[in-house]
Amino acid sequence: MIYQRFNNRFKELCNLKNIKTFAVKKTGGIALFLFIIQFITGMVLSFYYIPYFEQAHKSIVDIVTKLNMGWFFRSFHHWGAQLIMATLFIHTFSVLLSKSYKKPKDLLWFSGFVLLGISIFFGLSGYLLVWDEKAFAAVKVATGGAGSIPIAGVFIKSFLRGGIDVTGETLTRFHAFHVSILPVITIFLVCIHILLVQYHVISMPLSIKKRANQMPFFPYRFYKYLIICLIVLGIAVTLATFFPPEIGKKADPLAPAPENVKPEWYFLFLFQTLKLFPGEIIGLNGEMIAVAVISSGILFLFLIPFFDRRTGPKIKHTVFTWIGIVYTIYFIVMTVMGFLS
Amino acid sequence: MLKFKSAISNRAPAIIKIIVLLVLMLTHTIPLCSQDNAASFPVAPYDRFIVYQTLAIFWIAIIGLIIIIRMKLREIERIQKMGINKEENDIPTLD
Repeated sequence: MIYQRFNNRFKELCNLKNIKTFAVKKTGGIALFLFIIQFITGMVLSFYYIPYFEQAHKSIVDIVTKLNMGWFFRSFHHWGAQLIMATLFIHTFSVLLSKSYKKPKDLLWFSGFVLLGISIFFGLSGYLLVWDEKAFAAVKVATGGAGSIPIAGVFIKSFLRGGIDVTGETLTRFHAFHVSILPVITIFLVCIHILLVQYHVISMPLSIKKRANQMPFFPYRFYKYLIICLIVLGIAVTLATFFPPEIGKKADPLAPAPENVKPEWYFLFLFQTLKLFPGEIIGLNGEMIAVAVISSGILFLFLIPFFDRRTGPKIKHTVFTWIGIVYTIYFIVMTVMGFLS
Repeated sequence: MLKFKSAISNRAPAIIKIIVLLVLMLTHTIPLCSQDNAASFPVAPYDRFIVYQTLAIFWIAIIGLIIIIRMKLREIERIQKMGINKEENDIPTLD
């Protein structure tokens, strides 16, 4: 009897429709829950972190070695960030593949896409705050890559670095981004995103609404979300306990970059794409062309509601389905190749 | 149910031994991976034991909470199927 129950539950979980519903609808709620966790653990860490380049690394070591459960809060913050990025990518690609960006939900897509970009920048800015060799090299490469963007690249690079090169100024600037500027923008955009979700649910035709939403949010859906959040919390705590992130040697701006340094996993697909382009293409700088190609790909994805204008739930557009599949497969393959190389 | 209980109780010592062995293995092997540079995990065996014990209690609490919430959800579904959560249209008021 228990085996039959587990078997039925397993079949229910493996049902494609349920997976699609989970990927599109529930991952957004999971990301919101993880953001709240990140805010709490970030606030606790900020009591002890010193955002000055001479003391930043030492303050992290002191948090981990001298403070009670300091290692856990740092590890939890690290794994919370990894899980947020994974959840947001699943959410974005599932929305892309299910074509939930079409009118009238195009504003939802735009706000969500900007939130994804902000989360990536959250990750990058937080990564530098450790001020170890790997973080220093990664930020140097990332900001250098941003400098290759045509026209605005030089301004973006000097704005991010606070100068020509990655120095203590960059650390102060990234700390300001990570602790004040990005959280304010995130809260604002998340509120808009949630309000738009609620608006689109409220404005749904009643015949569809009655079939789809027979249960109110509280208490039915709230308790379901609570179960998912508890499981996610358990996974995050387990990962934080068994796989605490290491702290490398203190960054030395004058020393060469360590060998085989790689960025965080959510940058690997960009890193691998850059490797595909040669140094020079028809006399032009290969890196600049690579950055231009990547930027146009990302811009096309951002503006996809304007290109895929066919509306309606049953109207298919095969080209855009294949575009979504290509983007998803490209991201996964390039990330895996980045890991293995 | 009785057969299942008896099967579990017969195999209980073996199951307990397997669980204890796994916990001991995890206690000694996994945290060593994180000791490359600065020690980002408690080094003393007693501290590690306390951490894993706390994690086990945490998971038991989560599972307990999930069971209680699922019971609550089943209750809500049962009430909704019976239709007693909705008010009747011609219900008399006490004016």
